[in-house]
Amino acid sequence: MTKVKVGDRLIGWSTNEEVRSNGGSGGLVTAVFAAALEKGLVDNVVVLEKANQFEAVPIITDSVEDVFNSAGSMHMLISNQTKYLQQFKNEASIALAVKPCDMRGIREQQKRNTIDSDKIFTVGLNCGGTMAPFKIREVVESVYEVDPDQVKGEEIEKGKLIIETFDGEHHSHSIDDLEVDDHGRRENCRYCTVKIATNSDLACGNWGVIGELSGRGTYVEVMTEKGAEFLQNAIDMKFAEVVEAPEKGTEIRGKVNGVMLKMAANTHKEVFKPIEGDKLEDLRKELENCIHCGACKEVCPVCACGVDAKCNKYYDPTDDYDISLYHLIRFLHLSDSCIGCGQCTDVCPADIPLTRLYRRFANPVQEELDYMPGMDDRTPPFFLTKLEELE
Amino acid sequence: MTAEIECEQNKRVSVSREGWTPKIVMFCCNWCSYAGADGAGVARLQQETNVRVIRVMCSSRVDAVHIYTAFLEGADGVLITGCHLGDCHYVNGNEKTLVKYKFIKSMLDEMGIEDERLQLQWISASEGQQYAAFVNEMTEKIRKLGPSPFRKPEVI
Ligand SMILES: Cc1cc2nc3c(=O)[nH]c(=O)nc-3n(C[C@H](O)[C@H](O)[C@H](O)COP(=O)(O)OP(=O)(O)OC[C@H]3O[C@@H](n4cnc5c(N)ncnc54)[C@H](O)[C@@H]3O)c2cc1C
Ligand code: FES
Repeated sequence: MTKVKVGDRLIGWSTNEEVRSNGGSGGLVTAVFAAALEKGLVDNVVVLEKANQFEAVPIITDSVEDVFNSAGSMHMLISNQTKYLQQFKNEASIALAVKPCDMRGIREQQKRNTIDSDKIFTVGLNCGGTMAPFKIREVVESVYEVDPDQVKGEEIEKGKLIIETFDGEHHSHSIDDLEVDDHGRRENCRYCTVKIATNSDLACGNWGVIGELSGRGTYVEVMTEKGAEFLQNAIDMKFAEVVEAPEKGTEIRGKVNGVMLKMAANTHKEVFKPIEGDKLEDLRKELENCIHCGACKEVCPVCACGVDAKCNKYYDPTDDYDISLYHLIRFLHLSDSCIGCGQCTDVCPADIPLTRLYRRFANPVQEELDYMPGMDDRTPPFFLTKLEELE
Repeated sequence: MTAEIECEQNKRVSVSREGWTPKIVMFCCNWCSYAGADGAGVARLQQETNVRVIRVMCSSRVDAVHIYTAFLEGADGVLITGCHLGDCHYVNGNEKTLVKYKFIKSMLDEMGIEDERLQLQWISASEGQQYAAFVNEMTEKIRKLGPSPFRKPEVI
């Protein structure tokens, strides 16, 4: 086969049968990482170490063994790869798998000089949405009527969330039905408009894998030179095999993506329908339980300020303002850069739907400027010096 | 007149219009509009007395923190003035003000704050006349709008 190049659309899988069957779909991602480590293209790989079916923590490793053990997709894990990566301060070269929103965070951090793009290699995983682990535990118990500790695995297929228990039984429910009661994907995932991580080096997913390869291969779109190099390396080292993606597969991938985006647009309309009545009062009510713990800023993948930030420094609880200055400043600073990843909502101890509030201010700005943070290489508009540069 | 100004849905804000006069915070650039204000005074131009002028070295010194704080502290309007485009003492400070202004405007709009409550105007050192006119015009507009929704009843 000819050399892998940018723009190639392939179906690939791991040559290691165990990895292939444990992998999310064929274990190609795992194979690429393992080969890169073996060859020395990167010093470290970030993989997930499972605690149980619902939880995992990212770990950084230089052992091929660890990489092999990490194969598989976790749809219930809301990792924050951007923040995890930031802590290494570009000291080592790192390869990692990212959701589209993780990658958007990384790209925004690159613009803010906290992550060096030369030091990282990213494999983007298509993402139709993630689910909060605690919620899924509840759902497994109440809707599936299964003991959450008996869950062996989870899978999403054809719009169904399938739970496999240790006794080998499969229990399935349609995600649409679950979402009617807010039991499915996180809200921000339901209106997210980036399902394919075309902003990473390799965009991988199972959409478009058809026929006998279905479930045993991953559709990969080569996005960058680096992506081509790493994939070629995995093939040369005999860790992975690839074939040209059939046209029909590419068509299906595009179609499914289109359907997902349409659904997202509908949810968007629903969630962001114009507020009737007093908008300011509505905002005040939403924020009234805020305890100013600062967790939302701490996890925000696009914020690069550190502790000495305006939002922290000028906020004083004794001011007792109607709406906290902390949030007003953050709303403004994120209006051009919020990627809608949902991390702030996830960590909020007061259960404030923060992402929705941030998006409320970000939507009109980003729409008007036709600027999509993390997908767009332009300087964040707020940093520009001239109004004309915005247009 | 004792009309109560109330938010549409609740009775939190009930600042009596009686005895209410607009409070306006105005940021003036040291190199232009601040001198413009001086000029207006020297020329004895009649001006409304509702503005509190804060001198800054350049309009770009005005940060969102200042604007939001002014509103949260009970200002009914915030005016920013600076040198005409191309005349900024610091090359392009006022261009940056424009960018910032655009974003803050969009945010205030999203919060349901009326457009007139935050205004940006270029006024040079020799434009005392324009300065006085701007102050009068904005005070009148804000008087018509009534107390800011940010204003707490206890703020006088
Ligand atoms: C949350 C989620 C949603 C997805 N939704 C879709 C979809 O709608 N459509 C589609 O075509 N494909 C989707 N995928 C991608 C698909 O499931 C496979 O991950 C992909 O095809 C790669 O398969 P593989 O066998 O080559 O990967 P593997 O060899 O199994 O390697 C996967 C790598 O990803 C890491 N990983 C697993 N879960 C996560 C996570 N939550 N966050 C960060 N890293 C993780 C693992 O540690 C491992 O390194 C999704 C993946 C995830 C994680
Ligand atoms: S010096 Fe007047 S606006 Fe910059």
